[in-house]
Amino acid sequence: MSKRVLHHPEVPEMEADQSVWRSVREHEDTIKFRHQAIREFSDSEDVMDEDEREFSRRNFVKLMGASTALAGLGLASCRRPEAYILPYTEGPEWVVPGRPLYYATNMPSAAGAIPLVVTTHESRPTRLAPNKKHPDNTGTDAQVQASILNLYSTSRSQQFLQDGSQVTKAEFDAFFAKFAKAPGKLGVVFGVDESPTRNRLAKEITKKFPGAKIYNYEALENVSAETAIAKAFGANKVKLTPKLEKADRIFSLDSDFIELDAQSSTIQYSKKRQGGGENYDQEVDKKVMSRHYQVESIFSLTGGMADHRLRVAPSQVSKVGVAVAKEVQALAPNANLAKALGDLTADFAVDPKFAKDESEEGKKAYKEEKEYVKSLKEWVKECAKDLVSKKGKSVVLVGPNQPEELHVLGLALNDALGAFGKTINAYASKSAATGSLIDLKKDVDAGTVDSLLLLTPSNPLFDAAADVDFASILEKVNVSIHSGERTDKTAYACDWHIPATHYLESWGDSLTANGFYSVVQPMILPLSENTFSEVDVLTALLSGEALATPTAQEPSAGYHQVKATFDKKFAQSAADWNELLKNGFSKRRGYASAQLKSVPSADKLANKYAKAPSKDALEVILAKDHSINDGRYIDNAWLQESPDPVVKLTWDNAAIVSPKTAKELGVYDTIVKLETWNAGRPEIGEAGQARAPIAKITVGDTSVEVPVLIGFGQADYTITLPVGYGQARDDEYQSADRFDEAKPVVGHVGKNTGFNVYPLRKESSQFLLAGAKVAETKGEYPVASTQEHHAMYGRALAREISTMESPAKGDYKKQLKKVDQQGMDSHIPENIPLYKANDKEGNKLIGDPIHQWGMTIDLNTCTGCNACLIACQAENNIPVVGKEQVAKGREMHWIRMDRYYASQNYEYDSHGHKAKDENGDKVKTPKWISENPAMLPQPVACTQCESAPCETVCPVNATVHTEEGLNAMAYNRCIGTRYCANNCPFKARRFNFFDYNKRNPLIKKNLYKGPFGEKKEGSPESLQRNPNVSVRMRGVMEKCTYCVQALELAKIKQKQITKKKAEAAGFSLSPAAKVETSDLMIARDSVQVACQSACPSDAVSFGNLLRDGEQTKDKDRVVKAKASKRNYELLKYVGTFSRTTYLARVKNPNPEMPDAKYIGLASINIH
Amino acid sequence: MKFFTSVYTTRHTMANFFPRWTNYVPLKLALCAAIAGAGVIAAFWYYATPDTQRVGYMPAQPIPYNHELHVQQLGLDCRYCHSFVEQSGHANIPTANTCWNCHQHVKKDSPKLAPLRRAIDETYADYDGKPIEWVRVHRSPDYAYFNHSAHVNRGVSCESCHGDVHEMEEVFHAKSLTMGFCLDCHREPEKNIRPLEEVYNLDYDPELYLSEHTDVAKLVDEFIAGNDKLAKKKLSSQEKLGHYLKDHWKIAPKESCSTCHR
Repeated sequence: MSKRVLHHPEVPEMEADQSVWRSVREHEDTIKFRHQAIREFSDSEDVMDEDEREFSRRNFVKLMGASTALAGLGLASCRRPEAYILPYTEGPEWVVPGRPLYYATNMPSAAGAIPLVVTTHESRPTRLAPNKKHPDNTGTDAQVQASILNLYSTSRSQQFLQDGSQVTKAEFDAFFAKFAKAPGKLGVVFGVDESPTRNRLAKEITKKFPGAKIYNYEALENVSAETAIAKAFGANKVKLTPKLEKADRIFSLDSDFIELDAQSSTIQYSKKRQGGGENYDQEVDKKVMSRHYQVESIFSLTGGMADHRLRVAPSQVSKVGVAVAKEVQALAPNANLAKALGDLTADFAVDPKFAKDESEEGKKAYKEEKEYVKSLKEWVKECAKDLVSKKGKSVVLVGPNQPEELHVLGLALNDALGAFGKTINAYASKSAATGSLIDLKKDVDAGTVDSLLLLTPSNPLFDAAADVDFASILEKVNVSIHSGERTDKTAYACDWHIPATHYLESWGDSLTANGFYSVVQPMILPLSENTFSEVDVLTALLSGEALATPTAQEPSAGYHQVKATFDKKFAQSAADWNELLKNGFSKRRGYASAQLKSVPSADKLANKYAKAPSKDALEVILAKDHSINDGRYIDNAWLQESPDPVVKLTWDNAAIVSPKTAKELGVYDTIVKLETWNAGRPEIGEAGQARAPIAKITVGDTSVEVPVLIGFGQADYTITLPVGYGQARDDEYQSADRFDEAKPVVGHVGKNTGFNVYPLRKESSQFLLAGAKVAETKGEYPVASTQEHHAMYGRALAREISTMESPAKGDYKKQLKKVDQQGMDSHIPENIPLYKANDKEGNKLIGDPIHQWGMTIDLNTCTGCNACLIACQAENNIPVVGKEQVAKGREMHWIRMDRYYASQNYEYDSHGHKAKDENGDKVKTPKWISENPAMLPQPVACTQCESAPCETVCPVNATVHTEEGLNAMAYNRCIGTRYCANNCPFKARRFNFFDYNKRNPLIKKNLYKGPFGEKKEGSPESLQRNPNVSVRMRGVMEKCTYCVQALELAKIKQKQITKKKAEAAGFSLSPAAKVETSDLMIARDSVQVACQSACPSDAVSFGNLLRDGEQTKDKDRVVKAKASKRNYELLKYVGTFSRTTYLARVKNPNPEMPDAKYIGLASINIH
Repeated sequence: MKFFTSVYTTRHTMANFFPRWTNYVPLKLALCAAIAGAGVIAAFWYYATPDTQRVGYMPAQPIPYNHELHVQQLGLDCRYCHSFVEQSGHANIPTANTCWNCHQHVKKDSPKLAPLRRAIDETYADYDGKPIEWVRVHRSPDYAYFNHSAHVNRGVSCESCHGDVHEMEEVFHAKSLTMGFCLDCHREPEKNIRPLEEVYNLDYDPELYLSEHTDVAKLVDEFIAGNDKLAKKKLSSQEKLGHYLKDHWKIAPKESCSTCHR
């Protein structure tokens, strides 16, 4: 048989020329990168490093020989091990051994409670999913999904501390009894979330202890928005909740409202983006679909979703805001807006320095700048026009980091656009006014507070700004008591520390974004008997009694308190309590509505944007981290290992700068060089050695040293610094925040991760710093970035179309029609399939008549947030591998979140050919366009190919196809040849190189110690494991199997129909009951795989392809999705017939905007 | 002068160093080795497989619970104790509470029930509230996911895998429960399927059943007669009824890996 060669056809010129990339090296297209790219595996994946070489084959044989001989002497292993079954003495209600139980609860969070349904196996919580019955369902993001791991964290606080040393509970009780009698001038610091029970207890505390004061603090909750809103509404504590499902036009000023700054449900945003087709009954309709303008500095996931994204420095966001406001005021005059604007002006003009440069390059730059300013003016004008045209259906969102005045302007804009009551709900909280940490400092200094109870989830000694000077507060007060889940820096510094319970083991309550009363109920008794919830502590303070550990018979104090709150304020009848526990929420709300009174003037804003940043005075953004939030999740290994959704960095933070800024600062070349310094030398292993240069960033008199990475789409002359990292290191990289064995502020997970950038923050309200200087140091820092791992090289991987007519691609209809012909799919050459569809008797090989599974992923709503990745990790027992292993490309995530940048570099004519100017030269696109790339995320897991290339090469039949179209894995059969992974065009297979599940990969060199290494067995994390999925061992290949455990359970449940029918037929005669094939088909959309249920934007559809009845209501959602014109198959030309397909992204640009014709054309072609 | 009888006598003739019989030694050795090898293989085949290793395993239990007594003499249904077998993957071992329902009245003071009282009787001197540690008899490996409810709700009896538990004074491992054992039934389910109401009747006899339920027998006969392939075969009552139920209930057990392995 001659060798069959796969013919790659040509790609249309326009798509081929688009520049598409993931990393700097790829963007630069260095020779070394090309060398590496053509290799089938990354160098390091196959290469041994020092440690591995120590454990060579020779050593292995030696050791194995010896151990086999020794084993033979004892023959101990020949005895059948005795196993035991321990049934309950008294069966708990509802518990059926072997069947999961689901409970509704809520996770408290600053933006509002997150409704959850918790899967528990014999009372062990194992996985979280959003509570879809909740009226305020927000979905789950990565941090929510991973919060279950915090419950089982090995570094959780379990002992009372006095002055940083362990004491018994009795000692604490003795102290607390005295304290509760006379706490002195008490100050209590809570988190920012709203809890009715806590508010009630706080009131009781201020009543019982006159002079007691209440404060709120979370490190990244900026008070500037709160102050602005309070002024405009004339009331304290007003909460604004956008109604994105009603918003036709969204104008975001630096607000990452889908992701880190979410104030309401993102599901609503997705529904609107679907253009009325969230159930895929119809195609995306541009009239229904929202249009989204984003002005921002960091490339956020929200920015990636936006139709028009303007890239400006944080200070200049205000300027754009003012400019748009002025245009709006001209079109739709409004008293509040007039008042807010005052005599603010925002004129865009070319910097005079450009005109001075007489050189050839200078002239070119001047011309470009003039063009940019012209476009900018147009951008602002058209944007304002569009917003006004949808008055009452537009909304303006302002980012929490922005100054108070911009929030004022935002409120006025919303008023002018008629947003209040229509696209924004304003709620007044019923809780009493509280102070901030600054107020606390004033009170402590004034002597009105001299004892402190800290119940905030943040870590103020580490994360509070310099103006709070929290250390001095702790020094000045007589007593400080801290309660928290971790023994962080604050825990050790306070006089007393109370270990806190996790929200899955405590009673509490919370309000959602729209104020629905939602209960926090325990799934399990506290794992450690020394842990107590916030409500327990407050109750003990009020009653003067000792903290009591709950038992199976007697619930904690929290139960009685929450029930009391509910009965008093929310219940209408006694039965309501049970309803609340069942549903997790009550329909009654805890907020009253609020009315905008009049906005103050925002004219101080002019000072904020007067000066644009430059090379010598950069702007710094202290950003919330996608993984660890403000630093509170630093000990969460799932989050640490999940790649940053944009930069793709794991286990660390880094300073992110734009390529232009990096070039001007002179670090660009170093970054490119370091990333590639030994590419092409397989004996060293490239990816395992990737490094980033360390730069010294100075703001005022404080400086930090942080590794620098390139962030495409980042505003020029700005630096993003994610906060929360660097809590403790014991290596050579940082001298401050040393790791202290005696007082470990982090566990194995958080140690030596990232760099602390909080010291730069001088004022509590300041997250945007100006006037930063950068100096290169000699230092280099190893970084583990996944952006090039498991890279697919193929045509039109992620596809995008535009609702606007493109001269080259035609109108929306035509573009829709051509989605599945993008790239080379337009003319796939005839490749002969190696697979036969039928067996010898002519029966279909993948021929189950009842279920054929399939999935679609909608790129139009997928934001790339990683929630699916972590939900999959929880459901499928996927291990964490640690930073060193990630750097080698050995991460185990079954879902890989690809992120592509794309930009168009040339202009095209109506034939789709490059436009040429009068000299015959190709016309380049304006620089502000080509430097502002589009971002497309694409989650890829095993696509369950019908003609799976992996199956034919497995020598032991460990991976085979099921009749239902799954590419199944029999882990126990796998001998680890890795042939299947070699042959997978999607690179969806993961190999367990070490026993990551058994041996702790987070201890240095532990993996290489073999049997002598420290084991993880019996650690609390194993309680999280899903009992229905094998925990894979070393040397086994693993991958996504569409949560086959859930599918099998659903099918088995459906099979009980035999019994039901028999019972209906008169039980004595079950043979008379007839079961049809259709009876055995599971109900429509009744099974949800982990990634699908976790997805906060409802992008994943999964179901039975055979449930395709005549009427749409009979069809599984996936069937309808696959019928969409946006549906396309990844790498279709390879001919593997994937069961997972993708739906192309639709962008809805405003045709009048200057950048409209460049939008929605990305088609990811990588060679 | 002496005459040499032969010139050859003057030569040094070498004695036969290897006697003739040695010619066959390699062959014999090979034969012996083959027999010994075959013996080892046979021994391994017999002793080291689950058929021998598992079948007959009868560990001592903390309480010598007698199935024969409770089922045959007292008439307890399997599901009185293994209460979740129809709902869950596990056929649960009863909680101490289940035993105590009766035994707080019956034979409460029997020394054999001491472990039970230790677990649940708060008035008992040695009460500690800890669960009874029953020794596991049937144990499928961690990577195999057997689901009881999937089987009992589709007409596979307890007996098919666990043997005649109702006659056991002490429970032992009756069948091999190897992967081959599973597959045999997944390939030919008709040999084990019975009407749902007979699943927990461990004395079930298909012949008796059909003779007692003439209406079912009629349906079965009609079905067999209507099927050319089956009509030609000589089938037992079990197989006839099995084939009928398999068709009637659309029983099509899967043989693909992910049915049991995930």
